Amino acid sequence: MNVFRLPMHLNAGGLLPFLTMMGCPLHDGGVEIDISELRRVLPASMVSLVAMVNLWRRKGREVRFTGISECPILSYLQRMDFLSSCGIDVPEAFRRHDSKGRFVSVKNVIHQTDEMAREVAGCLAPGGEEFDHPNAGLYDMITYVLTEVANNIRQHSSGTGYAAAQVHGHEGMIRMAFADNGMGILKSFRMVEAQWSEQATDAEAIARALEPRVSCKAGPPNEGVGLTMVSSVVSKIGGALLVVSGSGMAKFPIGGGSSFETFPEGASYQGTMVAMTFPERAAKRFADALKEAKDDAGILQSGRRRATFEP
Amino acid sequence: MSGTYTAHLAEDCGTILADGSKALAYRHRQIDPYIDLCEKVTLDFSGVRSANSSFMNALISGLLEQHGEPVLEKLVFKACKPAIAVLVEAAIELGISKSAGKVVA
Repeated sequence: MNVFRLPMHLNAGGLLPFLTMMGCPLHDGGVEIDISELRRVLPASMVSLVAMVNLWRRKGREVRFTGISECPILSYLQRMDFLSSCGIDVPEAFRRHDSKGRFVSVKNVIHQTDEMAREVAGCLAPGGEEFDHPNAGLYDMITYVLTEVANNIRQHSSGTGYAAAQVHGHEGMIRMAFADNGMGILKSFRMVEAQWSEQATDAEAIARALEPRVSCKAGPPNEGVGLTMVSSVVSKIGGALLVVSGSGMAKFPIGGGSSFETFPEGASYQGTMVAMTFPERAAKRFADALKEAKDDAGILQSGRRRATFEP
Repeated sequence: MSGTYTAHLAEDCGTILADGSKALAYRHRQIDPYIDLCEKVTLDFSGVRSANSSFMNALISGLLEQHGEPVLEKLVFKACKPAIAVLVEAAIELGISKSAGKVVA
């Protein structure tokens, strides 16, 4: 039996140690996850754990959760549909309220990403469905980010994907996370026989995936700009982004810059996880940020001069 | 060759345009056939709330790649909100680059 005792805080600082702990090679047998101490958990930790648990089950491992009744944030985990997404059924001793403007519980990434975007953006940016609403830019941003990342998961992970989000009103930040338990970025490149990928590491594959016009998906309609634009737009509005795939990770901290690293201790995440944090108010300037991101990537130079736009 | 054809994106594809595969199928079925038949082809984005690069590139870059840069003289982009306009412009630029053989995607 592989026993994991989750720490008190699976927050921004605890995410990578958590993924390292969970990503070390397992012994034979089942997996036991003790959540009795857990007091704070972010969407990225939740969706990555849901993806792992469901992968272990798919591979025939028994997975059980312990310390459920002692967990001080049990009702929060239930509201976030974390336990149910892990196949754990615990009776709810509370009434569910509308989550609009507060959080998006763990969801399967489905084929109809437009429907999913409508639901998630409507929840995180209430009122933003209207063009002239103050949340309109935030609505656009969430829709853009969600559909691009969810399309990536759906099209080439060959696994199951999960998404969740949380509005942190006191910080004015939104945290969104996506995780799948599929083949990962490096293997995706190898599947389309990208020659360079044979000798590449996971971290190098992530770096390539974030370059404009590099796609893991063969042929049209893929142009390889989706994830590139997501990372750039998040950075431009003052957010942070983390991409984890296999043994590699890419960090884009608040304030700019980037680093590509490898997990310590031989740890590896099977699949891909994308987590982002961005300021709610700055998302108003999504259209400008997108324009700047396209400019930076060299894919927006003189289109308007040659095209006819009508009101 | 005469007349104008208008493609109503919101009615045909929904108010959130997010799926490149859907865009590709739509272009083949609803846009490509009219390029040679009509003097003007209007892509009307009225009612489109949001879109992403995957959809726009599959729709617009593909048009330029297939028909060449002169197709821009026929195309009209109507009722684009600011974020949509950015995506349209970038898709055009990408299509021009590809039709000129500058990009191997």
